[in-house]
Amino acid sequence: MIELSVSRLNKRFGGNHVLKDISFDIRGAEMVGLIGPNGAGKTTLTNVLDGAVKPNSGTVYLNGTRIDQLPSFEVAKAGLGRTFQVTRSFRRMTVLENLYVPAMAQGRSHKSNEVKEEALEVLDFLTMAHLRNEYARALSGGQQKLLELGRLLMLDPDLIILDEPFAGVHPKLMEVIYEYIRRVNERGKAMIIISHQMDSIFALCKRLLVLNYGDLIADDTPEKVKNDPVVIEAYLGTTEDRSGTGQHDDETRPADG
Amino acid sequence: MKRQNVPQLLGALIVAFFVAFPFVYSGGNYDYIMHICIIGFFYAILASSWSMLAGYAGQFSFGHMAFMGLGAYTTALFCHYFFISPEPTGICTEFAIGGHYLIVKNPIGVTSTTLTQDCLAQAMDKWNGTVEVTPMPVWLGVILGTIVGGIFGLLIGLLVLRLRAAYLALFTLGFSEILRATISAEIQITRGQAGLELPSLFENGITIAGHFFSKTDKIPPYFVMLFLLLGCLAVLYWLSQSRFGLFVRALREDQDAAAALGVNTTRYKVLVFVVTSSMAALAGTVYAHYVTIITPNNLMILQMSLVVAMAVIAGVESFIAAAIGAILIEFILEMLRTNFSIGGVTVDMTLWRLVFFGIVLMLTLRFARNGLLVPIIDFFTRGHVAAETVARRSDEAADTERRETQS
Repeated sequence: MIELSVSRLNKRFGGNHVLKDISFDIRGAEMVGLIGPNGAGKTTLTNVLDGAVKPNSGTVYLNGTRIDQLPSFEVAKAGLGRTFQVTRSFRRMTVLENLYVPAMAQGRSHKSNEVKEEALEVLDFLTMAHLRNEYARALSGGQQKLLELGRLLMLDPDLIILDEPFAGVHPKLMEVIYEYIRRVNERGKAMIIISHQMDSIFALCKRLLVLNYGDLIADDTPEKVKNDPVVIEAYLGTTEDRSGTGQHDDETRPADG
Repeated sequence: MKRQNVPQLLGALIVAFFVAFPFVYSGGNYDYIMHICIIGFFYAILASSWSMLAGYAGQFSFGHMAFMGLGAYTTALFCHYFFISPEPTGICTEFAIGGHYLIVKNPIGVTSTTLTQDCLAQAMDKWNGTVEVTPMPVWLGVILGTIVGGIFGLLIGLLVLRLRAAYLALFTLGFSEILRATISAEIQITRGQAGLELPSLFENGITIAGHFFSKTDKIPPYFVMLFLLLGCLAVLYWLSQSRFGLFVRALREDQDAAAALGVNTTRYKVLVFVVTSSMAALAGTVYAHYVTIITPNNLMILQMSLVVAMAVIAGVESFIAAAIGAILIEFILEMLRTNFSIGGVTVDMTLWRLVFFGIVLMLTLRFARNGLLVPIIDFFTRGHVAAETVARRSDEAADTERRETQS
């Protein structure tokens, strides 16, 4: 069973205390939403979990292995994969080559038919099979986002962190991303989804973590988080603001817009 | 024949042309033309290996000629100072090895070449021809020079791990200049600007297929440098097609994203420095033994700029293009040496050819950022991709429509 254990994580950049004693656990194929206003520390938390940034104190264990002091590539091999807030595809490499990178980083050969077939299956699922030999730079922003997701399928980690997977994506591609998330979750993978799109987060996740200026101010079900006065004050907007939306939770928007 | 196969066919024809060239060329100035070819091959090794470093891996280093110089000076110092003697000199630093002595000559700089200052010369004078001293084999110097280049590549690779873009360029430029200044300053050992003389590649000549070639013949060094170039290109091709090639390109595109996908970016960044600096050093050792002298001027920034310009004009993202470009540009630069007159004013092309070269570089950077040869190679190797994409998309759309109709 997948087990992520984050304990008393702290990160400071100079005088800016970005993560303050963050602790939470993820057990099994949970789908967890991570929300908070801009500057809350969501991306920093992701960077710390992924090994790109070292914490000042605290520990992170993934499936019993301590990963908070490991470099990114070892964290990836330990079973944690991520996407980036701003899409970071390998622009001057073909779509297929983008998918081969994580497969080969695990010691598999791109010359094997197995990897090629797997990559084509991934592209088929992402509705991008016809683009296999195009350079990634020729893809639209949404397609590049899908390509990032495809790379994660090839990496096949236990825990996936998706940083703003729906930002700037066409509704049709959003359906593909929804399907992707559901399918990956069905495979028994745990996921942390960072998004400002509350409707998506509330629809997908059964648990929400709310960060506010480095503090973890809530860790509960979406229903409880929505009605948590601290969260409403910090992020979702005042009760008065929300009264206009009535029962339409999917219209709830973050306070910072 | 498929369009994608045209570059391979052209490549094979170019190789066949250069293999046959020394035997069929009869256009005069034979030694001069052969010399340009050899120097062209030398620059082709440097430009193609730099293309792997800068074009594939995105490590924009200005230290490539420094690695070339390290290789050249290593073999030069090795051949200049180390000898094997059956008898001890008693005045040089020497080590007994299996009944012989490894003699290390004392450095005498350039102040004098009189026998009184060179310990080995003094000993040989004393022996009066009764003891035969053996110089070090050139091939051993070549191997040592390559290894030293690789070791320094490793060190520089480790030092620049956290440096990117302009910082990396400045660091490697600094390294290059420090090395050049050190060689210039250490006159006692390196003979400074006077340079170090080296034995020829084939000091005693060589007999191939019953034909004797003297040490000044151009054919042996021509084929040594040509096969060295082909060997380097083969290694670069193999690397580019392996996980190494894929990972260094991912490294160039986005180091953090590559690491997040499990690529050990540190290892591949260092490896690409080791591989390319070893190649530059290897080229440097053979070049030094070909021209039989190496000076700090060979490490000048102008020389590095020449290599960069050759790769950029041809196309830095293809080591094949960089190699072809280097040979072509070397020829063009030599052809442009001929002065001409306009209205009675003589244009000194030994200087103006570099201006011409600079203008071509600027125009390339402005209007053809992929270089002049890479788009041609792409036309053959990737020209079909767009049509394939459109065809596949049409097929997919037709499939979807069919499924929707059936349902």
